[in-house]
Amino acid sequence: MAEIMIAMKQLTKAYKSMGDEVQALRGVSLDIEKGESVAVMGQSGSGKSTLLSILGGLNPPTSGSVEVDGIDVYALSQEMRADFRREYLGFVFQQFQLIPYLTALENVMLPLTTIRKSNKEKREIAGSVLCRVGLAGKMNRLPNQLSGGEQERVAIARAIVNEPPVVLADEPTGSLDTKTGDEIMALFQRLNQDGLTVLMVTHNPDNTRYMSRTIIMKDGQLCTDKAELLQLVSAGKR
Amino acid sequence: MNILQIAANNLKRRRMKMLFLTLGLVVGVATVVALVSIVQAMRLELGDRIDEFGANAVIVPRSEGVELRFGGTVVSDVTFDVQELTMADLPKIRESVVAEYINIVSPKLIGAVKADGKNALIVGVEPRQKFTQKPWFSLREQAGVPTGGKVGDLALLDVPGESVILGSSAARYLGKKAGDTLVINGRTFSVFGILNELGAEEDGLIYADLVAVQGLLGRPGQLSMIEVSAWCNFCPIEEVVAGLAAALPNGRVVALRQAAMFRYQTIDQFSAFGFALSGVVLFIAALVVLTTMLSSVNERTREIGIFRAIGFRRVHVMEIIFLEAGIVSALGGLAGYVLGSAVAQVAGPFLAQIQGHIPMRSDLILPAILLSAVLAILASAYPAIKAAQLDPAEALRFI
Repeated sequence: MAEIMIAMKQLTKAYKSMGDEVQALRGVSLDIEKGESVAVMGQSGSGKSTLLSILGGLNPPTSGSVEVDGIDVYALSQEMRADFRREYLGFVFQQFQLIPYLTALENVMLPLTTIRKSNKEKREIAGSVLCRVGLAGKMNRLPNQLSGGEQERVAIARAIVNEPPVVLADEPTGSLDTKTGDEIMALFQRLNQDGLTVLMVTHNPDNTRYMSRTIIMKDGQLCTDKAELLQLVSAGKR
Repeated sequence: MNILQIAANNLKRRRMKMLFLTLGLVVGVATVVALVSIVQAMRLELGDRIDEFGANAVIVPRSEGVELRFGGTVVSDVTFDVQELTMADLPKIRESVVAEYINIVSPKLIGAVKADGKNALIVGVEPRQKFTQKPWFSLREQAGVPTGGKVGDLALLDVPGESVILGSSAARYLGKKAGDTLVINGRTFSVFGILNELGAEEDGLIYADLVAVQGLLGRPGQLSMIEVSAWCNFCPIEEVVAGLAAALPNGRVVALRQAAMFRYQTIDQFSAFGFALSGVVLFIAALVVLTTMLSSVNERTREIGIFRAIGFRRVHVMEIIFLEAGIVSALGGLAGYVLGSAVAQVAGPFLAQIQGHIPMRSDLILPAILLSAVLAILASAYPAIKAAQLDPAEALRFI
């Protein structure tokens, strides 16, 4: 039996918006196996990003639990959760979210900032990861000197530099053209094949081709309507 | 990559904002450095000036006395065992343990004489010592200078031995003007000058050379009193009095406390003004730091969210903000010291009416940097806490 990397049980999330209570998640339960790549799809406001942020230890659920590699994430203190994120999770945010005043190499070195390694070692590690994502010659460029695809690669390199077992990606191809988006998805696929567990929120059905499983969210719940799922997946395969 | 590099890189990126922040600190620190330097120079100069203005200790012959009182009224004083002060006591003052603090020593002999047949009081002085010590004495008339002409400075003039200077009342009483002659106890003196009115008992006195008066009174080498001006910036007047008393057992040394008190009071007022002004400027500088750092934190909400998401603890985020404040404050402190010292040197003499040079205070470098750092770190505390408490999910607009 495959090892469970992520276990979400009966997750709910409610928050206030303009005085009204909004139910972003309504009892989501989901297991993701080690080495799996899962695409999360759904319309805007369906709860995809909320799910991602809860899974990432950034947003405590109203009820329910999240375990990553057997660790109950929200049983940890805030500062312990920061350590957990550094060691277990890699984030690829929407629109890259690189630090504009740091070079590509320095951006990739960021997650290594607070760990005990010499600067030289950190540079070597970050350099080798940048080579792995195909940016060997552009390490010393600032984000605004890189193309969108290159910035996305830097963001991916930053997410994996700490060798976390899980990468969470939020719309990683949302601001890229189709060709570059495909290249980035191929990169994710390669990383997944190397053993990384990937959970990706995406609007693009094409991206599901690169993932081992697709789940759909609707109104804060996992969609169980097989027809809807099939329709989305087949749209991706066209 | 370490946290210091992140802080330094951010400062480089936000050059204008950080320049503005640094300028705020520079102005605050420069004001304090300039005021401290100027106030300190004023303390020294004012102290010296006040010490020049008159004696702060008087030595009179030691005597034992009994005051006879009847019905609450002093009937008479009976003094006995009166000791003498002489010219031989003067070198003892200059050789005493407090000699280095002694500025002016002005011996005097006072006695009654017949001047042109009238009773008058004469004071024998060493004119230069006397008039340097009391610069408020000035001539109204001077022999050889026509009416309305410019008279000389008493402290700089050579008063001939066979001449006298008359107080304004004494001149009126004796009916004399500058250039006249006056017969005192059978000896003829010329009137060198008439003093401006002081509104005090000194107006009724005749001033003459000490040795001449000792001769007139038949008291060669004797003194009635010695007025002493001490430099009291470096030692309290009490120490000077004790030192003089030990050197002159035949004299009674009296400190003129009023002069000393006035001196300290005036200096303290200057200091209080300086510190109050510094406080206001520093408060404004702190507000500049606070608002700049707060706006910097607000602008960097997403960036801080990223730091938190990739595993930075709250303390790491605070460290970044404090390091930025620390770097800026060190630069601001150093630049503030240089600017403040320059302002003190260039503008100080005009602002504070100081005649002397205001020295560079190298001892203020470290306090200036520390002051700037404490100010910046205190003012950055709230922005740093705010940054550390940012909800990363909200910062990254996950919700």
